[in-house]
Amino acid sequence: MKLGNVKSLRKYSIPTLLSMGWLAIIGLIAVLYPLISSSDPKATYENDIAVGPFTNGHLFGTDTNGYDIFQELLHGTRLTLLVAVVAVGVGGAIGSLIGIFSGYVRGKIDAVVNVVFSAILSIPNLVLALGLVAVLATAPDVNSTVSSWRQVFVVVLSLTIVIIPILGRIARGATLSWSNREFVTAAKSMGAKNSTILWKHIVPNVLPAVMAIAFLAVGVVIVAEGSLSLLGVGIPDGNSWGAVLAAGRNDMEYTPHVMYFPIICIALTVISCNQIGDVIRQSLDKREARI
Amino acid sequence: MSNLPPMLSLRDFSVSFDTARGPLYAVRNVDIDVADGESLGIVGESGSGKTVLSRGAMGLLPKRVAHRSGTVVYDDHDLSQAPRKELREYWGTGMAMIFQDPMTALNPVRKIGSQLTEGLRIRLQMSKTDAAARGIELLNRVRIPDPAAVMEKYPFQLSGGMRQRVMIAIALACRPRLLFADEPTTALDVTVQAQVMQLLSELRHEMGMSMVIVTHDLGVVAGHTDRIAVMYAGEVVEIAPTKQLFANMQMPYTEALMKSIPRLDTPSGQRLPVISGRLPDPTQPETGCSFASRCPYVTDKCRAEAPPLVEVSPGHSYRCWFPIGGSR
Amino acid sequence: MAGSGKAHLRNSEEIILRVEDLTMEFPAGGKKFVRAVSGISFDIERGETLAIVGESGCGKSTLGKAILQLPKPTSGSVNFQGQELTTLNKDALRDIRPAMQMIFQDPVSSLDPRLSVAKIVDEPLKIWDRGDEMWRSNKVDELLNAVGLDPALVRDRRSYEFSGGQCQRISIARSLALEPLLLICDEPVSALDVSVQAQILNLLQDMKERYGLTLIFISHDLAVVKAVSTRIMVMYLGKVCEISAPDELYSRPRHHYTHALVSSVPIPDPNVAARRTTLEGEPPSPMDPPSGCRFRTRCPGATDLCAQEEPQLHEVSAGHYVACHWPRP
Ligand SMILES: Nc1ncnc2c1ncn2[C@@H]1O[C@H](COP(=O)(O)OP(=O)(O)OP(=O)(O)O)[C@@H](O)[C@H]1O
Ligand SMILES: Nc1ncnc2c1ncn2[C@@H]1O[C@H](COP(=O)(O)OP(=O)(O)OP(=O)(O)O)[C@@H](O)[C@H]1O
Ligand code: SF4
Ligand code: SF4
Ligand SMILES: [Mg+2]
Ligand SMILES: [Mg+2]
Repeated sequence: MKLGNVKSLRKYSIPTLLSMGWLAIIGLIAVLYPLISSSDPKATYENDIAVGPFTNGHLFGTDTNGYDIFQELLHGTRLTLLVAVVAVGVGGAIGSLIGIFSGYVRGKIDAVVNVVFSAILSIPNLVLALGLVAVLATAPDVNSTVSSWRQVFVVVLSLTIVIIPILGRIARGATLSWSNREFVTAAKSMGAKNSTILWKHIVPNVLPAVMAIAFLAVGVVIVAEGSLSLLGVGIPDGNSWGAVLAAGRNDMEYTPHVMYFPIICIALTVISCNQIGDVIRQSLDKREARI
Repeated sequence: MSNLPPMLSLRDFSVSFDTARGPLYAVRNVDIDVADGESLGIVGESGSGKTVLSRGAMGLLPKRVAHRSGTVVYDDHDLSQAPRKELREYWGTGMAMIFQDPMTALNPVRKIGSQLTEGLRIRLQMSKTDAAARGIELLNRVRIPDPAAVMEKYPFQLSGGMRQRVMIAIALACRPRLLFADEPTTALDVTVQAQVMQLLSELRHEMGMSMVIVTHDLGVVAGHTDRIAVMYAGEVVEIAPTKQLFANMQMPYTEALMKSIPRLDTPSGQRLPVISGRLPDPTQPETGCSFASRCPYVTDKCRAEAPPLVEVSPGHSYRCWFPIGGSR
Repeated sequence: MAGSGKAHLRNSEEIILRVEDLTMEFPAGGKKFVRAVSGISFDIERGETLAIVGESGCGKSTLGKAILQLPKPTSGSVNFQGQELTTLNKDALRDIRPAMQMIFQDPVSSLDPRLSVAKIVDEPLKIWDRGDEMWRSNKVDELLNAVGLDPALVRDRRSYEFSGGQCQRISIARSLALEPLLLICDEPVSALDVSVQAQILNLLQDMKERYGLTLIFISHDLAVVKAVSTRIMVMYLGKVCEISAPDELYSRPRHHYTHALVSSVPIPDPNVAARRTTLEGEPPSPMDPPSGCRFRTRCPGATDLCAQEEPQLHEVSAGHYVACHWPRP
């Protein structure tokens, strides 16, 4: 999937192009945030407390604290995406490593890995994330509070652990399937070493399948992070979309718009990721079926 | 042949692929009819477009790189422009395909049983037990030993010929009305091959199934087809009723093909006759006859001008300026 | 021993490969096993072409791969140029690999879909670090030319852009890259039309003459087998039925299975009515093979003796061995 020139974009459908566009926009916002926003997201507009969208220059309105929702969301993009990308990236890398290795060597190791993956996957994502956060975030000393960076770290770590078996299982399945192909036997018969076979034949064929699911996993992570925030154990202080959402939760009756906008951002991102994941998967299926 | 409308009718059918070196013309201006209950053989050199033709007729080509033109009419439905969703309605129960490479067409991580019964359960809404029973019966009919055990196996645990027969069973599962069999017996020994071809013939008579057999085994086409189309470089260069073709071939390529068949009665250790040279580059269409570079009878006219399809006798057409038996 | 005997093994300096009592079992769920190859013995002289024919599923591919130790056979011995392969360690085995190559049965799945054709054919050369980049690239072109593909047209394309027969030719080119001594061809021409088939068979013949290549040629096309082989081994359900030179085997098959096989070859002539199958009965399950002679459930000449005692290979005429209690005249 090369996105190189404009001409090659033409083969994608409109929803796919819109998805790419949305992801590109939020990606840019996340990277360039310090350049594009000069105002402090935590500035309180005392005269405009809890106003609706499009009032007095507040695009998305303000909440009961007088925070500008648009500014908050812009600011939250960074951490939201950081959490998602790091969790999926690191979790995907570890998961793929485990999955590819165990799928290739098979035997007892693989049986164990499979059982462990299945066991973890049988726990709903959110429950697992909550449990992990609860365990990891316990401050050693009851009186000290958990610092906010540590809290972010704990959320990322927990979500990473949630992702490992999801992508690990995909990698393992794909490895099992590819390593049964005759070209692997052929490579062995030529005298290729196992490391060469893994690197040259298995990994390049398995990675695209993992990539496709990784996009879906980004969606899963963003939702999970939002849910953790709602439950009060996510990213603190409205620093992510989920946290903005959580902050607005208490005043839902007075300022429902405070919840709409983060929800829309989360939903658009999840839908876009799913769309792109689907496109990757379809192009894979096509190639594999030689159709 | 009857006067009924044909089961499948291709008109001016062409397929090209986008490749790095420009469009690759895999199938060019093919006109073919397959009558109800008829068996049509397609033979031709490796790479001449037989698979692309049958996949194209079914609508099974990658949309992004393959471009079809011309019309495909199946059972009075024009499928040339039909979207995938509509085509899917016909796959399995209407048209089915035995794929040439069973290992890639079968899903490597699913058991044979589940792949075989999928169509039965989804398309024919059979219950799980009924579908399994029918699956075993199908495997039995394609002569797979111990079918119940094979249902529980994965493709890599089967021999090449067994995989091919599983493919055949899958294609036949929903009792299609038109079967494309792409090299259905390449991995089968002669005894099993005879039985499988027998089975296909039986089904043809039982349910009036039409069949397109793509094969390079002229022994198979001789015994199991009503008509044969010879393809070369994406074109149908000769088409005739089977007996007529063997007795009275017109096109030099057909002759060359027949001459290179190894036969049981030739003594061992002899060099086999070959057609020297190779297929023309499919991205650079010829101006003249596509066989010109290899034809022993080639003249300047052949190189300059492409011969049209002419009919010598009812149902027997060929493309050649200087047919065999004609005045040269 | 329930094997089919070793009367046919030769004692010559020129033997390049000798296989004895080779058995290959696969687990088949529970405590059961599929014995795909069951105590097979044979040998090949340098420069010979041994053809292996037999019913689909009788263990031909498994035998071919077991010779290459892919995977190691369950029991038995494989002696290649005086070295016992079954007991070699990984590195020593790896060093021998270039000398034995195989063309795999399923051409499409034996090519990695992510690699270009040039990379596929280059792979064995690269693994063994043969020559420099330039030399390898020329070698790849030479090999592609030899199998009838135009290097300029195919080098940069991927396997899924090719027809079945073209894939088969790519796979043949790859197997010849290392100039092996022994080449195991598993249905090398089954996906090819007759003209390309002839071209490939002639190519293999040339390679034999040029490099003294020894071939094991697995095929179900008896006409092709006859044209290329110097000896034919007929298998049924994991065992050897008959071994002989081709002309003798076709004109006078002695084993009942061979006879059925030879007489069901389809004739490329529509005026000869398609002959009905000559082999009746169900193919037996390899998990639970018949006692005595494995062919007895479908053999027209079977007697009680056939159920009780397994026939051993014995010589019926010079160089013609058959494992049957009641060979045909
Ligand atoms: N996906 C694709 N992309 C590009 N070119 C393709 C693709 N599929 C097939 N071709 C080309 O189309 C031509 C015809 O291929 P096709 O598979 O129809 O041959 P065939 O007659 O079935 O040959 P065989 O007997 O070897 O199977 C070939 O030159 C092939 O390289
Ligand atoms: N990896 C495996 N696991 C389990 N069973 C296997 C495996 N490989 C082969 N078999 C079984 O071994 C038997 C022989 O298979 P093999 O592939 O050697 O047959 P073959 O003679 O090559 O047949 P064909 O002509 O159809 O290719 C079959 O019954 C098959 O199911
Ligand atoms: S038109 Fe000419 S080149 Fe073509 S097949 Fe006929 S004689 Fe040969
Ligand atoms: S041993 Fe008996 S059953 Fe076996 S082939 Fe000979 S006659 Fe037939
Ligand atoms: Mg084909
Ligand atoms: Mg095989």
